[in-house]
Amino acid sequence: MTTSAERGAAGQAAHAAPADQVVAGLERLIRQEIPAARTIRLTGLARAAGGLSRENWSLDASWTDANGPHEHRLMLMRDAAGTLLNTERAREFAVLKALEGSAVPAPRVHWMDPRGAFLGAPSVVMERMPGACDYMVLNGGRPLEERLTLARRFIELMAAIHAVDWRARGLERSLGLPEGSPAQAELGHWEGEYRRVRLEPHPELDLVLSWLQRSAPRAEALVLVHGDFKPGNALIEGLSITAKLDWETAHLGDPLEDLGWVTNPVRKREHQIAGHWERRQIIDAYRELTGRAVQERDLIWWNVLACWKLAVIQLTAVNEFVAGRYSRVFQTPAWLYRPMFQMMEAA
Amino acid sequence: MRPTVEEQLLGTCRILEDVVAPCVADPFARTILDGLVANLRMLNGAIPAVAGFLRHDNQATVDLLRSLAPALPAALAGRIAEAAAEPEPDAVDGAALDRRNLQLRGLLAEAVGLEGLAADAGAKIVRHMTERASRVPMRYVPTAPAAHHTPPDQPQKP
Repeated sequence: MTTSAERGAAGQAAHAAPADQVVAGLERLIRQEIPAARTIRLTGLARAAGGLSRENWSLDASWTDANGPHEHRLMLMRDAAGTLLNTERAREFAVLKALEGSAVPAPRVHWMDPRGAFLGAPSVVMERMPGACDYMVLNGGRPLEERLTLARRFIELMAAIHAVDWRARGLERSLGLPEGSPAQAELGHWEGEYRRVRLEPHPELDLVLSWLQRSAPRAEALVLVHGDFKPGNALIEGLSITAKLDWETAHLGDPLEDLGWVTNPVRKREHQIAGHWERRQIIDAYRELTGRAVQERDLIWWNVLACWKLAVIQLTAVNEFVAGRYSRVFQTPAWLYRPMFQMMEAA
Repeated sequence: MRPTVEEQLLGTCRILEDVVAPCVADPFARTILDGLVANLRMLNGAIPAVAGFLRHDNQATVDLLRSLAPALPAALAGRIAEAAAEPEPDAVDGAALDRRNLQLRGLLAEAVGLEGLAADAGAKIVRHMTERASRVPMRYVPTAPAAHHTPPDQPQKP
């Protein structure tokens, strides 16, 4: 058996050690998963520039086994030393496995290294799908008609995710059912994160937390929730969404959670097209696609939670930076306070 | 003192951009470098404002806590009275100003978490917090990964 690791020029110098670790670890993982594999070749390794929570490595793999030669374009997602989101690779792996053959476009997942035994940190390896990631695609350089088509495709994709038969696909076992109402369960999770990561008092966030606790809504349905639904977590080719990515925050919950994330006023530039595809159009489209009622007061609660969750994620970054584990500098999320107060007032 | 803090921060940005950045080929490292330079520029504008911000906020928070105290449980009201009676730190002692701010905001965090605050007290708290948020001198500078640093078929996530 021979192995070669031909790394891409970009990234070779600055990330020699992590790149070596990825190549050697992935080769051992492939040997473990496919004992008959011979002539394993891992080429074109490069780390993507984006990704705030994980290392994203692209590479091409080939090997030969009893069935003949195999070639795959792969993405390897590996936990970074410092992260904004504490998530489990096993959760992402289970969701991607469950989505195979569904109406939701998602990468085919190959292997998992849940404890980092091979790759040094928990990792999943999946097919690299065609398409490009553009988190500002709805307000980029494309003609308005194309952007509106894509905006419509995004909400159709959300509806498709929410329509997944999670019972039939065994997701109850891997994701678990929320304890209490989905709103309370989600708030409880993020409150735990808040108490874990904060380095100083944040009375603004405590005030909003009290409001969220007092007014948590009941769910109209229990669905598969993506948990970080945004254009930046999708691959686009032409006018098609070829894959929804980043399923590590997926869970069973209230459909308004994803809808609240995309109608969150502080992220309008990612999710809305001024004058054409705004909150009202998004809600109407979702209602039409799903038949759900979508109570405005309940959606505002999820909008506020979306902001509060963003604030906690920023505090996580602050904590990780101060601890020396994170390479980007974040600040106290003061910019989120006024929008949250305004929404609480309007609810 | 020359070079001043401002001159040193801006000079560091210039060197990182003109000398270091052109040699950084790795897209991830380049994105990190861009973010660090943006943060240094933000700090250059923010540092002179930090002490003044803390002095103002400490006074405003003491005033707010005093006004809330009559409606709060006796134990918390007592600790607020003790804190409010303490002398304010030296105006140029940044560390002491920061400690004082933590102390006062800790008390405010306790107060806002209590149930049953009157509506006018709630409005006063929100007004205080909104004004404070508008004055915070240090702010996150978003720097998305530049497309030209990333091979076209790679996912690029903010």
